[in-house]
Amino acid sequence: MKLVYIGGIAVGVLALLGLGLFIAQGPQPEIVVPAEVLFKIGPLNITNTLFTSWVVMALLIILTFAATRSMSLLPTGLQNFVEAVVGFLVAQIEDIAGEKNGRKFFTVVATIFLFVLVSNWFGLLPFFNSIGKTADVGHEIFAELASASPARLTLKDGVYTADKKFAGAKMQKSGSIVYAKPRAKTVDFTVKAGETPGRAMDRYIVFLARNFAAFDIPEAAVEDPTAEEIRVAADALKNSSTAPELLDASQVAAGGEAAAIKSPALGTEIAGVSFENSAKMAVVIPFFRGTFSDLNNTLALGIIAFVMIEIWGFQAQGFGYLKKFFDFSNPIKAFVGILELLSEFIRIVSFTFRLFGNIFAGEVLVLMLTFLMPFLFVDIIYGLELFVGFIQAAVFALLTLVFASMATEHHGEDEHHAGHQGEEATADAHHHQGAAQAH
Amino acid sequence: MGSWITPTAYLLGIGWFFATSIILGLVLGKWADSITGLEPLFTLVGIMLGLAVAIYGGARMLLPFMRRLGDEPSEKR
Repeated sequence: MKLVYIGGIAVGVLALLGLGLFIAQGPQPEIVVPAEVLFKIGPLNITNTLFTSWVVMALLIILTFAATRSMSLLPTGLQNFVEAVVGFLVAQIEDIAGEKNGRKFFTVVATIFLFVLVSNWFGLLPFFNSIGKTADVGHEIFAELASASPARLTLKDGVYTADKKFAGAKMQKSGSIVYAKPRAKTVDFTVKAGETPGRAMDRYIVFLARNFAAFDIPEAAVEDPTAEEIRVAADALKNSSTAPELLDASQVAAGGEAAAIKSPALGTEIAGVSFENSAKMAVVIPFFRGTFSDLNNTLALGIIAFVMIEIWGFQAQGFGYLKKFFDFSNPIKAFVGILELLSEFIRIVSFTFRLFGNIFAGEVLVLMLTFLMPFLFVDIIYGLELFVGFIQAAVFALLTLVFASMATEHHGEDEHHAGHQGEEATADAHHHQGAAQAH
Repeated sequence: MGSWITPTAYLLGIGWFFATSIILGLVLGKWADSITGLEPLFTLVGIMLGLAVAIYGGARMLLPFMRRLGDEPSEKR
């Protein structure tokens, strides 16, 4: 009987492995560190991470509103759930910071916790990083070559001054929906430093012929093709009905592309590349991407935490708070003050990179494993990501809380504070009497 | 936050503080060197300062935690 179970599980695992590897494997993921821009409002770039954070905020606000709209003394359902969560957080925060301080810190710390937690878990939903609009990389490359002028930063004295890499997946078209084929490879084309737009165009022709038409030359020749090879490549493109089409000036008059590029090898002006009848070379710009897989968002949260901690510090101690950093009564204290000041700012950076690193790495891991080992290992990593999402939310909120407690305690007394559960309430009461008098 | 979440989160957080302190010191030192051309003076100073901040800041964060940890068994017993 036991053998049957084990055999069944083994068969299931193998079936999933086979299904994932040979049938349902996703396209090769393209890892992009900066958040992709979805649209612009005036000069502001609205990125997908920012957009996601708005959705999360709306979700939290609606949930809270729904839970507190008609409150009853004996909570049921949603109200019960929200009350349990808030009650739990209040208890934990008061446990660490004491009742009076805890209540004061609660709004910020609990908001950070809930926002980060919901963002992280929300970011694991399947439509993240997968569904979005497509950006046509093929056209982008041509537009870059066609509009190159000495005034542009990328071009000086007729040659490019820096490498510029374009990457995209080969995508199929079905009706109006563009999708990446399972196991589609990412292809990339680099405009090289020291190269003229015309030469880059020649290489682009070879690149297109290699990837979209029946044309093959050795890997070594791809980077530096001869005029003959480029002519053969152009012919291959022309003869294939499913390859992108090189347009000359007369064909483009109606379409209206920006400018033409003269190909040195072919001797003709190329006015555009049409992907109308072929597979596209495109990237997906996902509508949703985990809020904290963007350094800007974690930095924003880090700065908010930092500013709130400093405000609480000043509130509790007035200008005496600065004495912790600038104490010149003896050299050792002066040096310790410098360390204290530095660590205050390093906290912002460490807040920022900790959250970003964990969430971004998790996202990349899930994406890569979905490509390499679909169905099987990705599930385990998903579970791990749920845990990481929770722990990172807890870390961010907890450290904000602890730093806030440190900032509000009076200097010199800290030997006896921070985290002492039993003495906490009394110690805290003392601090606050002191603070009240100072004000 | 629960019996194990608080220490886990706390210790995970402090690890990153150590790392960022030292790396930031190194990066800023490198940058100062590239401006002044005094390589490797500021790189070394940066690393040392980063290390000092890491040890001092880390100790300041860890001490209350360790004290609390020392208290706990006696409370539970």
